[in-house]
Amino acid sequence: MDWSVIWSNRELYVSGLWATVLLSIAAIATGTLLGLLVAAVRTSRIPVLAQLARGYLEVFRGTPLLIQMLFIYFGAAYLGLVGITVFGAALLALTLYQGAYIAEIFRAGIEAVPRGQWEASRVLGLPRIQTFLSVILPQTRAIVLPPLVGQYLSLIKDTSIAVVIGYVELVRQGQAVIDRVGDPGTSYIAVAVLYFVICYPLSLLVRRMERKAVTA
Amino acid sequence: MMITDPAAQQKAVTTSRISLSGVHKRFGELEVLKGVDIDVEPGEVVVLIGASGSGKSTLLRIMCDLERADSGAVWVGGVPLHDRKRAPEIFGHVGMVFQQFNLFPHKTALGNVTLALLKVRKLSRAEAEERGRAALKRVGLADKADAYPAQLSGGQQQRVAIARALAMDPAIMFFDEPTSALDPELVGEVTGVMRSLAEDGMTMVVVTHEMRFAKDTADRVVFMDGGVVLEQGPPEQVFGSPAEQRTQQFLHRVLDT
Repeated sequence: MDWSVIWSNRELYVSGLWATVLLSIAAIATGTLLGLLVAAVRTSRIPVLAQLARGYLEVFRGTPLLIQMLFIYFGAAYLGLVGITVFGAALLALTLYQGAYIAEIFRAGIEAVPRGQWEASRVLGLPRIQTFLSVILPQTRAIVLPPLVGQYLSLIKDTSIAVVIGYVELVRQGQAVIDRVGDPGTSYIAVAVLYFVICYPLSLLVRRMERKAVTA
Repeated sequence: MMITDPAAQQKAVTTSRISLSGVHKRFGELEVLKGVDIDVEPGEVVVLIGASGSGKSTLLRIMCDLERADSGAVWVGGVPLHDRKRAPEIFGHVGMVFQQFNLFPHKTALGNVTLALLKVRKLSRAEAEERGRAALKRVGLADKADAYPAQLSGGQQQRVAIARALAMDPAIMFFDEPTSALDPELVGEVTGVMRSLAEDGMTMVVVTHEMRFAKDTADRVVFMDGGVVLEQGPPEQVFGSPAEQRTQQFLHRVLDT
């Protein structure tokens, strides 16, 4: 293995890393927002919306992300919905897929909050949405955060699937280096190490939060 | 504690009167209330007693719209709670104290007391905190404003819960077994606060197993049995010479243990 290959192609790796980080951050933001929304709807006891949310969950947890991404990107083109960028399609697919898992994490947290909290808020005159934001959600933190960050880890790694629709991220750049100079072993190790560098701090964070949750 | 609240005055809650007639409620197969009529006058302290399952807690929860009656008329503070559209007018204008306190664990005592003042009454933080501190002082916890519920004893937590309700300047206070979750030695500090509220003329409806409180504080004791009001009257009458055999049996059981 020739490690100098990595250094001489560092710009490719850095641009790939940047693209991966960008997609990850965007998808974490939109996926969390969607998950929160879906969880709120699922626990709202508005029957039609709750059913709709459930249908969404089943579809997007029951099919591979790979298929969803391909469907969104190439399906949109086939349906004549031009204008969706590679980044947009990747973000949309990741949001929908991860949002389904994140929704279930939030739902578990919301349902762990005793019903009396809703009742006390209601008699005090707090509107439902206000109760959700100021009373219920803050109490879910200890339950939700560790699995949520765990889900983010899986999301970050899932961004690599965007390769199939041509998003030029870390894996794609690693392959570009291989195309140039060969030596797939070295290049893939470099790619893996870079993923690890992003994920490991989050992993440590989860462990710290779990320790805190136990002692709290 | 008289705190004027312009927002409260504009609302439909203009009286402390309660009037229920023909109230039925069933949970699935179980008929919990089988036609209850009950009136509470402004300033009156009414204590509901009865065995568990007699429907007294359900009745109380209907009075603050945490449960909805299947049929019958429910007027509370001038609001028809049987009218789905108008029922929410009651929220923020009556106080409810729960058996399990239901304090917000992520907020300090003061944070608990001021939340609705800030978000519902839309008071400024300074105004809300002033009122919040006054309410905490009212229940003898002025020095615990910055404590979190987990740092307080059960009796203190329940007093914060009372302060939280009082801060909203409620027309009526409801208590659902407020001392049942407390260690016996902590019951007195909560009933003490309730007694002083009664002395100040607060309209109160209380579900409790504290017969001493019922005896010395209630204007009227209502004995419920099997989903109906079986007997009611001044405490001397209900405790002294109960007319119904079921009442006698119940009192015999709870007073001897």
